[in-house]
Amino acid sequence: MTRSLVLAVSLLVAGFGCGVVRAAPAYVTDAGASSIDFTGVQAGAAFKGTFHKFSAAIEFSPDALPSAHFDVVIDLSSVDTLDKDRDTTMRGPDIFDVAHFPTAHYVTRTVTKTATGYSATGSLTLRGVTKDVPIDFQWAASAAGAAPVGAAAKLQGTATLKRLDFGVGQGDWKSTEWIADSVKIAFSLVLKPKP
Amino acid sequence: MAQPVPPKRYSGIAQFLHWVIAALIIAQFALAWTAEDLPLGMHKLALFAKHKSFGMTVLMLALLRLAWRFANPPPALPSGMTGIERSLARVTHIAFYVLLFAMPLTGWMMSSAKNYSVSWFGLFTWPNLVAPNETTFGWLRSTHDTLSDVLLAVAVLHILAALKHHFWNKDDVLLRMLPGTRAGKKP
Repeated sequence: MTRSLVLAVSLLVAGFGCGVVRAAPAYVTDAGASSIDFTGVQAGAAFKGTFHKFSAAIEFSPDALPSAHFDVVIDLSSVDTLDKDRDTTMRGPDIFDVAHFPTAHYVTRTVTKTATGYSATGSLTLRGVTKDVPIDFQWAASAAGAAPVGAAAKLQGTATLKRLDFGVGQGDWKSTEWIADSVKIAFSLVLKPKP
Repeated sequence: MAQPVPPKRYSGIAQFLHWVIAALIIAQFALAWTAEDLPLGMHKLALFAKHKSFGMTVLMLALLRLAWRFANPPPALPSGMTGIERSLARVTHIAFYVLLFAMPLTGWMMSSAKNYSVSWFGLFTWPNLVAPNETTFGWLRSTHDTLSDVLLAVAVLHILAALKHHFWNKDDVLLRMLPGTRAGKKP
C-alpha cells in the first residue's frame, strides 16, 4: 500500500518534470526599475507620458511558450506627461475617466517566437472596452547577462493601439485633427521571481 | 571706388518681409488672446498649434530679414529729423529686431518646458530647447507675456511715428515701405 503510493507520487513528479506542458516560472516587476510609457501626437508633435503605478504578473520561459502568460494592471490616475494640466485633463471624463474606469488591464492569450524576439496576442481592457492589442517584445534572462544586476529577467517591448477603439477621447477629443488616433506604447519590465 | 548710393526706398524684399511679419504678429496677438483663457481642449490646442507655427515662421523670416538688412542697408532717415527723433527711431527699430527673435524663442522654450513640442504646421517637429519643468515654464511664460506687452507698446509707437511722418512732416518715411507707391522712385 505504502509502496504503491510512493510509486504513484514518483510517477506524478516525473510526469511534471518531463511532461508535454512545462510550467513557465512566475515573476513580478521591480517597480522602481520598470516603466510603461506611451507616446501620443498632438498638433503634429509627439509627446511622451508614463504611468507611475502598475503591476504585472509575468509567467514566461523561452522553453515553455504555451504556458506563457502576462497579466498587467495599470493605474490610469498615475499618468504623468510632465504637464499637470494635461494630466488632469487625461484623468477626466473625456479621456480616461478614471472615476469610472480606474485601471487598464492587459492579459495575453498566446505567445509566439518571431524572427527578432517574441510576439503576444492579448486583450486590453480600457475605459470598459476590451479589444485585442498585439505586442512585440524581447526577453533577456539574467543568465544571459542581459538583465540588470539582481534581476531575474528583463521584458522589453512595444505595442501600438488606436485610442478611439477604446473611446479614449469623447466629445471634441474624438477628432484626430489635433490628437492622433494612434498611440505607441513602450514598456520595460525588470522582473524578479514571484515570492 | 565710388561709394554706393543709399537707396531712397526699401527694397521689394524688405517691404515683403516687413508686411508679412506685421500681419503674422497681429494674428499672433489675436490667437494668443483668444486661446489663453480657454480650458485645455481641442479648441485651445488648435489655436496654440497655429500660434506656434506662426511664431516659428516669424523667427525664420526675422533671420532672413536681418540677413537681408545687413546685405542691403535701408534708406537713410529724412535729413530734417532731430537727434532725439533719430535716437528714438533707432531704439524702436532695434527693439523690434530683438523682439522678433525673443518672442518666438521664449515661446519655443515655453512649449519645450511644458512638454508640448513645437510642430511647424504638422510638417516637422522642432527640437526641444529646455527640459520639461513647471517652474521653468512659469518663468518663461511671464517673460513671454511681458515681452508681448513691450512689443505692443513698441508697435503703437512705431505706427504713430509712421503716421506722424506721413501726415505731420509730410515726408516719404511711410510711403517708402508701402508697396505700390512711387516715393523715392525715379520718375
